[in-house]
Order: sequence, then C-alpha cells, then structure tokens
Amino acid sequence: MVSSKGSTWGRAMTDAAIAVTQSAVEQFTEQYLASIGCSIEKQGGRWAVTVPEGTETELATGQYILRCGDEQSTENEDEEPLHPESSFFQTILEDSSGRCPVGNISIDAGSTDIAIPNWLRTSDVEVSEVDFSPYYDRTALVFLFTLDIETVSDYQTELLRSVAVDVRSEVVLPGLADTLLEKTSLERGTTESDAPRIETSRAEKLIDHVRPTVVEEVRPTINDIHQEASRAADAEVEEYRQMQQQRMEELEETVASLSSRIDELNREINQESGREEHVEVLKKRKGLKSELDEVEAEIEDLRNRREQGFPDKQREIRDRHSIEVVVTPRSMTEVDYESGEAEFELADGSWRESLTVGYGSGVGVTEDVYCENCNQRLSEQNPLRSLSGGLRCSECRGADN
Amino acid sequence: MDGYDLVDVEVTHEDADHLLRSIDSSEDREEHPQTLQAIRLQAGQPDSELRSLKQLDENSVKMLEHQVDAAYRALFEMDGKALLADEVGLGKTIEVGMILKEMHFRETDDSVLILTPAQLAKQWQAELLEKFGLDFVCNYDDEFEGFDAHDYIIASIDTAKSDRHRTTVLGRDWDVLVLDEAHYVKNEETDRYDLIDSLSYNYAFFLTATPIQNELTDLYNVVSLLRPGLFGTRDVFHHYFVDTNQDTLVNRDELQDRLNSVMIRNRRADTDIDFTDRTIDTRTFDPSPDERELYQAVSEYVKGAYSEDQGQKLVLMLLQKEVVSSPAALEVTIEKRLDEQSELTHADELQSILDLIDQVETVTKQERLLDIVEEARDHVEMGRVIVFTQFRATQRELLDRLAAEGYTVHAFHGGHSSEEKEQIVERFEDEGGVLVSTDAMSEGRNLQFCNIMVNYDLPWNPMRVEQRIGRIHRIGQKRDVYIFNMALKDTVEEYVLERLYHKIDLFQQTVGELSSILTRLEESGTSFEDEIFERLVSADSEVDLENDFDAMAVDLQEQRDLAEKLEEFNSGVFEGFDLGESDD
Repeated sequence: MVSSKGSTWGRAMTDAAIAVTQSAVEQFTEQYLASIGCSIEKQGGRWAVTVPEGTETELATGQYILRCGDEQSTENEDEEPLHPESSFFQTILEDSSGRCPVGNISIDAGSTDIAIPNWLRTSDVEVSEVDFSPYYDRTALVFLFTLDIETVSDYQTELLRSVAVDVRSEVVLPGLADTLLEKTSLERGTTESDAPRIETSRAEKLIDHVRPTVVEEVRPTINDIHQEASRAADAEVEEYRQMQQQRMEELEETVASLSSRIDELNREINQESGREEHVEVLKKRKGLKSELDEVEAEIEDLRNRREQGFPDKQREIRDRHSIEVVVTPRSMTEVDYESGEAEFELADGSWRESLTVGYGSGVGVTEDVYCENCNQRLSEQNPLRSLSGGLRCSECRGADN
Repeated sequence: MDGYDLVDVEVTHEDADHLLRSIDSSEDREEHPQTLQAIRLQAGQPDSELRSLKQLDENSVKMLEHQVDAAYRALFEMDGKALLADEVGLGKTIEVGMILKEMHFRETDDSVLILTPAQLAKQWQAELLEKFGLDFVCNYDDEFEGFDAHDYIIASIDTAKSDRHRTTVLGRDWDVLVLDEAHYVKNEETDRYDLIDSLSYNYAFFLTATPIQNELTDLYNVVSLLRPGLFGTRDVFHHYFVDTNQDTLVNRDELQDRLNSVMIRNRRADTDIDFTDRTIDTRTFDPSPDERELYQAVSEYVKGAYSEDQGQKLVLMLLQKEVVSSPAALEVTIEKRLDEQSELTHADELQSILDLIDQVETVTKQERLLDIVEEARDHVEMGRVIVFTQFRATQRELLDRLAAEGYTVHAFHGGHSSEEKEQIVERFEDEGGVLVSTDAMSEGRNLQFCNIMVNYDLPWNPMRVEQRIGRIHRIGQKRDVYIFNMALKDTVEEYVLERLYHKIDLFQQTVGELSSILTRLEESGTSFEDEIFERLVSADSEVDLENDFDAMAVDLQEQRDLAEKLEEFNSGVFEGFDLGESDD
C-alpha cells in the first residue's frame, strides 16, 4: 500500500525537544511530585512540598518550599527556587528521565481523530465525511535519540529526534512519532502505558535499523558545524604557518648577526699577537660557530617542515577541531496501532467523489495519491484543486482553463 | 568559502543495552510517559523569555523594544556571544544591563568582567547599579583589591592590560566578558587585542557603534575574537568578501548571514525613539567688583600654589571650581585648609581670600537664578525647575534663599538613602517647585515630568553635563526641554561654556554621541578636566588663555568630526546589508 517512491516521507523524524518554559517546568514538577507520592500545598507562587520517608527519588525527604519563577526570595533557608535552570528541577528531570525508558502505548482509531492529509487540508475541496475501517492490528517502535555534536571551536549542540518504525515492515512512520509525542505531551495529562511484548533481539535489530536514518536527518546541521570547524582549523593552521615564517625570519637575522661576528673574530685572530688572547678569541669563535650550526639546523628543520606543509601540526590542529557525533538511544515505546483504509467523501461544488486510501491510526494516510489528469503526486505544495473530471492537482490548472 | 573539508566527522553509536534490559524488567510502566517528557525537557532549549525584566523598576529604566530584542537575541540566538553594534544613542549599555540582569537571574554569572575606556568606567558602574541593581566594583574604587579579589568588576581596559594586573586578569576563568568600545581592539598587533585574545571566558558581549574603523579587516578582527573561525583565515576572508580590484564588497549575502549569527545592529531610523526639542539659554553675567576681586585672588593663589607643588592639583582644581559656584562653597574648603594647616606657606593669602568672601554681599548668580525660577513659576506646570550644582554648600545657600523667597524647595544629594531619594523625587513631582540637586542625581532617576533645568555651575567633565541633561531629556519626555546655563563673565566657567562646550555642541548632542568623542580623546591620552586646569594655570595672559582654549576646542571639533565620519561610514557599509533586520 505504501508507495515505493517513498516520497511522502520526506521528513522522517520529529524534533522532539520541548521548550522549557516556566509553565512547563511547573506542570512537570507537579505531575512528577504527585506520581512519587509527595503532597503539594500551593500558596500562590510558593508550593509547600512534603516528600515522605521511603519515597524512591533522588530528592531528600522532608519539607520544602518551592519558589516558582520570578517570585521574590525570602531569607527562608528551606526555600528552593523552581525555574528551568534550578537545581531542583534538574534533579527531578535526571531522576525521571531514567525511570522507565521502555513502555507500550496504544493508539487506536477511537483515541485519535482521523488525520486529513496535507494535500487535502490545504485544498478548497471540501471533505464532507471520513471513515476509517481498521483491518489489522500493527505494532511499531518509537525511539527518542539524542545526538550530541561536539567540536572544540563551537559550543556543544544537542539534538533530540524521534523516529517510528513498523515492527514487521521496518518502514519508518513519521506521523506515528508525532502522534505519540502529542499523546504523551505535558498538556495531555495521563496516558496509560503497559509492558512491551517485543522480543529483545527484534528490538535490538530495529534500533540498529533506524540509526543511519537518524544521522542522515541531522546531516544538514552536522554539515554546518563541520564547515565552521573547518574554517576555524584553517585559520589556526594559517596562523601557525605565519608564526613559523616569522620565526624563520628571526633565525635568519640571527644567522646574519652570528656570521658577521664570526667574521669579525676571524679578523681578530689574524691580528692577535698574544697567545692567551689568541686562544680566547678562538674559543669564542668556536662557541659562536656551534651556535650558528644550531640555528642553521633549526632553519633547515623549519624549511623542511614548511615544504611538507607542517603535517604534524596540521594533523594536531585538525584532530583537535574534529567533530564527534554521539548517537544515544534514550527511550523505546512500543506502539500498538491499527491499519486499514480510510474513505474520504469529497465535495467540490456539484462534483462528488469518494476516495479510499491506505490509512493507519496515528500514522495517517499511508499511500501517495496522484492527479488523475497529469499524474503528478498530490502534496502540500501541490494540493488537490478540483474534482472536475476526477482528482485534479493545482499544477495542472492550466490544462483545463 | 564552501568546500571546506579539513576536519573529520566521527559518528559514535552508543549501545542500547539499558533499553533492552528494560524490556523484561519489572519497572512501573505507568511512568513511561513521564520519562518521555523528562527526556524531551532535558533536550529542550532553555526557556527563552527574559524573565528578569519583570523585576526591573520601570521608574529606573525604560526599556525599548529594540533593546529587549537585542538582549534576547544575544542570549538565546547567539549563545551568549554577540557584537552589539547599534548606532550611537540607542542604548547599548541598557542592552548589556538587561543581558547581565538575566544572567544574574539565571545564576550564570559567577564572575563578570566589564572592560571600558577609563572615562566611562564609573558611568557604567552607576548605570548598572541604579538601573539594574547590579553591584560592580570599579578599579577606581578604594575598595578595589585586584582582579582576583572580586567577582563583578568594571575596569578600564588599560588597567587590565597593565603589567601589574595582567597576570591576575588572565589567571581566572571569567563567566562573562563585556567589552565596551570594542573597535579599540581592532588591531591584532596591540596589547589590548592580545589581552582579549588571551582572556578565558564563557560568554562575551562586545559593544561598538563603529565596528569598521578603516577597513573590513577591523570587523574580521573583532568578530574573530568573539567567534574564532566564523570567517576562516584573514586571507580567505579578504579574498572572498572584498573585490580588491574595485575595492568593493562581494558576496554580501553570505557576509550578512555570517554576521547575523554574531552581530546585532539597530538603526535609529528603525526605532521609534523621538526626542522633543531642546532649547539652550546660556546666560552670562557681569560679576560685582567684589566677586571679580575674589575670583582673581583665588585664580592667582591657585596658579602660584600649583607652580610650587603640583601634588596639590586636585584641591586647587576644586578651589577654582568653587569660586565660580559660590563664595559659600569656597569658604568651606579654605577654612578646612587653614584648620588642617595643610597650607602654611600661603596662610596669609588664604586668610585674605576669606576676607574677600566676607566682602561679597550680593551673589550675582543667586539673584539671576531668581529670574529663571520666577519665569518658570509663571509659565510651567507647578513651576518645576531642577537646579544642579556641584557643591553642597552652594546647594544649602540656594535652598535657603529660594525658601526665603517663598518657593517650595526640595534638596537632593548623595547623603540621602535610596529610599529617601525616591521620596524626594516623588514629593517634587507632587508638590512642584524647585529641586536643588548635586550631581548625586546621576543615572537612573526618572525626572521627565520636569522640563526645565538650570546648570547653576558647570562640571568640567562633559559626561557629567550630559548626565544632567539626560535626567529630563530622555525617552518619555513629552514637552520641549529648556536648559539654562549660568556663568560669570571672564571666568573659567565662561571659557569652558563658550569656547569648549558650545563648540562641540555639547548641549545639543544626541545622547551617547559624546562618549565616542571622549573615548577618542582618551585614545590620544587626554583627560578633559586636567586639560582645562593645565591651560588655566599655565597661561601667561588673558589672550594666551583664550588661544589655549580655542586650540582645545579645535582638537575637540576634530575628534567630533572624525567620530561622525566613522559613524556615517559604518552606516553606509552596513546599510547595504540590511543588518538591522531580524533574522526571520
């Protein structure tokens, strides 16, 4: 049922990070504290929290006053600030993020609205009725992955991506990842979750199956960072090269000065009549000559390295600027969904059309639909325009005008 | 500049063992949705609101949209490393104040170093304290004990780079570095550049209205300090962005894209700042014969004493300023010197000055002030006038005299607590009348409900004059503003007013313009007050003195023209980039 062209799946993943606003912080904290059995008594922007003995949490037991957001602080030592960067909030996030990374959630037709595809939603053609007939129960896995991109010259970039994959067909289902994130969002409140049924070996295979997709999806970001790191490395190599050039010039000046002093001593040697003075000058000349040899050797070494383009230094700089992308699977949700067909009753003036397409609950329409006039694929950019003489896309408007 | 491929990208896949183990574990699955939320929040961008703004006192600081926007972008879109390059007068200091306030609120500012030109350090300190409640120590404070002894420091960049302090400045990791007038580090071969290049910091905010001083390399150097590598090597940068044949810019779009990731430039034309008109009325008066005699005696004493001992410069400068402010102000200092016996060789001279003070029966300026306040009483809402003086003794006399004449008076000076100061300003607003203030009424006080100001005496530091004017002529002032300057003829005050301040149009300048002129002066190693004093005491004749002041005015004028040209030049360069646009 899914088009082999696969073009519907231009976007395989969802940016799963949530903006950490004060209200999100308060909402999450409240839900978390309630879930571990703490009591909360709210007095405006101050919450009196009691963490009972024996509670499984990183938080110390006892009583706290949580001061929300920009509430003015008092001298009370038991007060803890609660805002996105507060240590209290960071502690509960840390605790909660590791508690239960695997679960099972059902997304059946009854719990979600039927999703109208973009090419129809942006169209003037009206959807008068829609009906979904589920035929099969299907299972998918939805993963959250963090991608840490680290360089020396840039700050660390951390991305969170969600990706859904059908357990049997191994096809990536972006619509399903979106639906799951929406269903489990803070605003939606509680969602039931059970133990997963999938076998460990199958889960492992599917994680490995989606890893390359995850990396490819963030490739543009990696490329941007890569370019900037390359420029920074290049600037550093150039700086080093100039420094060495400068050093070489300094050394050449030293050579000139040593040579002229040696010449001077040569003249002195010829003129010195006393033996002691003669020996003294010879010693001096020897000292200067060995100094000259050392400097010349250093110049030679520099020259050689320059000719080779300072390979060691280049390697060192480039190694230091190299980029490391660390891909870490953070959670796995087994999602039970239903697959079948959706029937859209369409109306366009006096024209009526009934369209039946493959559909999955939470996934959306699973097959591509084409213009019956020009055979172009319908999409958000090329929505359905009319039903006159079948499904007509926006791009073949000229054909019948 | 595309096609770079000099560094490797290594992708490492962490194993999924913890997930696989969790499949068969007996953990409470009901918590799974909450775990998903926690992971998503952990990866989320920090709340991108300026949360500290609600805590700011609207009476202390009026924030404009472009300033809030700049602070927001610098913090959240530029990851705390930004070049704030607004045109002059749009409030870059306020933008930094907001940024620092927000960082303070978020506890990401354990150590902050603000480097400024020497003349602006104290002003920065006062502004941050009064507008944002941020308490910094300045390297000119008595309590300053070195760069390793405090966590919030404002210092002149030259002090920081001096041999005495350099090691301690570089010896610590600063959370935040602020660099004012950043174009002075444009040259990579200077000690200043080297200092900034060697400093260790997490966040940095550089300020300049003229990122380009001579050539595009200036911009390259300043930006490279903030974001090394953004432009690659100097040669590549030149090759790519400058058409050397025609000396024009090429690849502007890409330059703009890159700059947009690090630089914010608001233009006056894009903001809704609209100042009302300002009328300057400078009134000079003939001193009475007694006053003239007193002025001459003091000037001669100052000249003589300074030629003998230059170490007394500050106190002599003070006397020279007091004599034109009021005999009362002068009297206090002279008596103090006699009591302390700090001046034994000239005791007779000082005594005779005291006698001359006694002789002055009518203080001309005081009489003339009555004309101004009288006029105000008749024409202005609640007769509100602010009279500024530098000296407490002058202030006391004025208050007594005005009260005796039946005016409602209010006193404002540095001896009041901040609560008292607030009450005084409130009473002045409610009751009207005359507020006589010392320069303790510096930044932060919002007095735009009054539109008449009198400079009863005149500071020799033009920044102070600008600050005084800024108290009433600020954003939010709805009426035209009148500034009265009072001076006695043939005195230093008249010279400073007529020959210097009027020449540079001090009283008509856009707020902020002056600092760029003064910073330029400082670059040439000049302190304004010292300059005035030196000319005063070293002139052999009246004609000499006038010529000296004219020469100083020419210098000032030149600096001003240069500052203006640069500003125009930068406007021209950046106009084509449309850099003032937001990054949407």
